[in-house]
Amino acid sequence: MPAPAIQLEHLSKRYGRVTALRDLSLEIAPGEVFGFLGLNGAGKTTTIRILLDLVRPTTGRAAVFGMDCQARGREVRSTLGYLPGEPGFYGDTTGEATLDLLGALSGDTINRRWRTTLLDRLELGAADLRRPLREYSTGMKRKLGIVQAFQADPALLVLDEPTEGLDPLMQEVFYGLVAEVRARGRTVFMSSHVLPEVERVCDRIGLVRGGELVLVSTVRDIRRLAGRRVRVSFADAVTPPARWPDGWEVIQVNPRDWDLNVHGALGDLAAMLAALPIVDLEVQIPHLEEILKTHYVDKAPA
Amino acid sequence: MRVLVLARHSFRRSAPIVIGTAIVLAGFQFMLTQVAVFLMRNQAFGLLASLIPPYVRAMAGPAMVAFMSFGGVVSLGYFHPIVLASLVGLAIAAGTEPAAEVETRFADLTLARPMARHEVITRSVIVLVVTIAALLAVMAAATWVGLACCTPATAQRPRFALIESLAVSLGAIVFCWGGIALAVAAGARRRATASGLTAVATLTAYLVDYLGRIWDPARLASRLSPFHYFEPMTIISGGAINIANLAVLGGIAVAGITVAYVRFSRRDL
Repeated sequence: MPAPAIQLEHLSKRYGRVTALRDLSLEIAPGEVFGFLGLNGAGKTTTIRILLDLVRPTTGRAAVFGMDCQARGREVRSTLGYLPGEPGFYGDTTGEATLDLLGALSGDTINRRWRTTLLDRLELGAADLRRPLREYSTGMKRKLGIVQAFQADPALLVLDEPTEGLDPLMQEVFYGLVAEVRARGRTVFMSSHVLPEVERVCDRIGLVRGGELVLVSTVRDIRRLAGRRVRVSFADAVTPPARWPDGWEVIQVNPRDWDLNVHGALGDLAAMLAALPIVDLEVQIPHLEEILKTHYVDKAPA
Repeated sequence: MRVLVLARHSFRRSAPIVIGTAIVLAGFQFMLTQVAVFLMRNQAFGLLASLIPPYVRAMAGPAMVAFMSFGGVVSLGYFHPIVLASLVGLAIAAGTEPAAEVETRFADLTLARPMARHEVITRSVIVLVVTIAALLAVMAAATWVGLACCTPATAQRPRFALIESLAVSLGAIVFCWGGIALAVAAGARRRATASGLTAVATLTAYLVDYLGRIWDPARLASRLSPFHYFEPMTIISGGAINIANLAVLGGIAVAGITVAYVRFSRRDL
């Protein structure tokens, strides 16, 4: 059985009196796209920096492909590409020099053809690359950041808020890149607070709040957990059942309209409605955003 | 070698300031050779010495006589406070680069690659040594050009060994402060903090040494200052370069670099 792409065991990190991470354990399989969610200051970036050995955990252990991030940091980092939340590019250096420098520091493992493909897709032309980075917009810097992270085609991509500052078209290009590297078996660990993005590209999500991992789930399961909103309209007034099946939540019931939240399979609902004069039936799958907002609000410490 | 890749990047970024400083210092050295020629032609060395107050002459001792000579004026550029400040300033700038990289988050990009943290410090040591050596070589070359091309044959030119000893002595004190800057920067999050602290320490040490030279009760305390071990006047008066002084300055630099390796490898970035 292959080692997990990422394995975090009881990670904690304290900065003086402030606890940034609390007993965080998590496993991510190779080939998975994992979304690491949380509000600002929740501990996402601290976790990423521990993976890169930029920050040392107070207790616990982090490993990448079975290698301890601290003891075998160089080997770990030779397997990954990293996009920081705020890439520290020097304004007096050109885009091309920056990519060359970071490529050389990666150990000359850069596939030039792949790099050209990335640049083409992200619409960073040769003229752009010859300009110093102080002339780049926020979006261009982000695109350059994506190229430097992907250019060595690493086995693991660690991306901190990857689409921050990208326009919608470039966000689409980015999602395409993630899908492509996933198809090649690469693992992606991305932090984000843009929920639709995570919902779209991730297989699983982890929700971190106040340094604690409060939820780990597949996107599919989390939707199932939240249930589906069902709205039924009838041609004539109908009598609602005296007792609703388990897992059904009544939001509003009128003689000609029912508004329900149904957890689990919809078979019972279909059977119940079969004998009734239905005019319209709407089944709404909830967005991750709504579910997680509820999770954040409902389970936040008072 | 990733260290050399990073060092090349640092050299490229610091080239304008280093080249600018080199031009100014070379011009200063050349100018001093011509000032010495002017004073010699006007037989003004004696006059210059008579303008110096007796207590200053008494304090400086025989070194003052050596200084008020053709060779002494030519050598001034190797211990002039402005030259010293320029070179120490550059050494502090080179030594505080790790703090700048943490501050700008450039370190996140470099250290997310298969680089060891000690390579960042090794890079700074390389930059420090090469920059100091290059500037001293340029200064010595400018002195030599000034003496070779535009000096009368009758002038008592200083021996090359004297210029070499002065340059080595100057290099040692500059390297010492570079090592201290590196030790401070290895634990700092901001370059301004690291360079500010080192600059204040440099100025304090300079004043402590100065005080020790002019006021007997402070003589013992002046031993704590690295400038106490920088004695160009002894070299100008014909003394050999003091190996013990070089060892102290080199030892401080090495200690600073060692502290930098340890602090940078243990800290959170």
